[in-house]
Amino acid sequence: MAHEEVKGCVILKDLHYSVQDNTWVKADGDVVTIGMTDIAQSLAGPILHAKTKSVGTARKKGRPIATVESGKWVGPVKSPVTGEIIEVNEQLAGDAQLINRSPYRDGWVVKMKASNLEAELAEMTTGEAAVEAYRQKIEQDGIACTHIDDSDTYD
Amino acid sequence: MEDFEGKKILVIQTHGVETPTRTYSPLFYAMAAAAMEIEVMVWFTMNGTNQLKKGEAEKVQLVKDSNVNLKTMLEMAMDSDVELRVCQQSLELWDMTEDDLIDGVEIMGATSIIELSLNYDHVMYF
Repeated sequence: MAHEEVKGCVILKDLHYSVQDNTWVKADGDVVTIGMTDIAQSLAGPILHAKTKSVGTARKKGRPIATVESGKWVGPVKSPVTGEIIEVNEQLAGDAQLINRSPYRDGWVVKMKASNLEAELAEMTTGEAAVEAYRQKIEQDGIACTHIDDSDTYD
Repeated sequence: MEDFEGKKILVIQTHGVETPTRTYSPLFYAMAAAAMEIEVMVWFTMNGTNQLKKGEAEKVQLVKDSNVNLKTMLEMAMDSDVELRVCQQSLELWDMTEDDLIDGVEIMGATSIIELSLNYDHVMYF
């Protein structure tokens, strides 16, 4: 999977990003998988608890789909799309640091059936534009990503 | 996770910069509540008031070499839509005026705290 690293922060080019909220989306038809970015996991630090909203919960774009807490931060994961949660990552309940180790793969947060996907994907960034958007954010905020042991590697 | 949207929590903080270990947790709980879509307000009174004096919170750092201090905690709380309020009468206790307060904090009187505490779903007192 094509990727780029900026100050240690991995950005996968084939995902769509809500840069402001540090979330990513992977669409398969109108079903989307949503997760936190590598930058988000790094800023949070080792995550202690991740509580997702329940399957069947309707969410508008921007509203929380999960609450994540580390030793130094607690906050929402904001939905980048409008729709209904159809699956949650049950593994996070017992191993929240899956988000730290594998933010783009095993540490996904929820899957949603999106109801306005085409328009909302168009508002996100992807590919080189996403890399550039994150490069600016990383430089502006002085971010450098760190990874805990056994984190995913990218070819 | 249960849906708590529409619930309201009032956090009352009476501890100030002279007791750093009692300053972080109330703000952390407030941010957790905000992340859960709970309407949350932190009310600073008694010694808690001195946290809000310009230039004071920056000096309170719990974890050595961390980039997080009490001022950044207060800012993170406000960024999370946590409302910060301070007791009018407590300002006088610390010889403070509105001009001494960090940005984003509103002043309210004693009757307001009584009204608030009766109208909130839960009060957490520190």
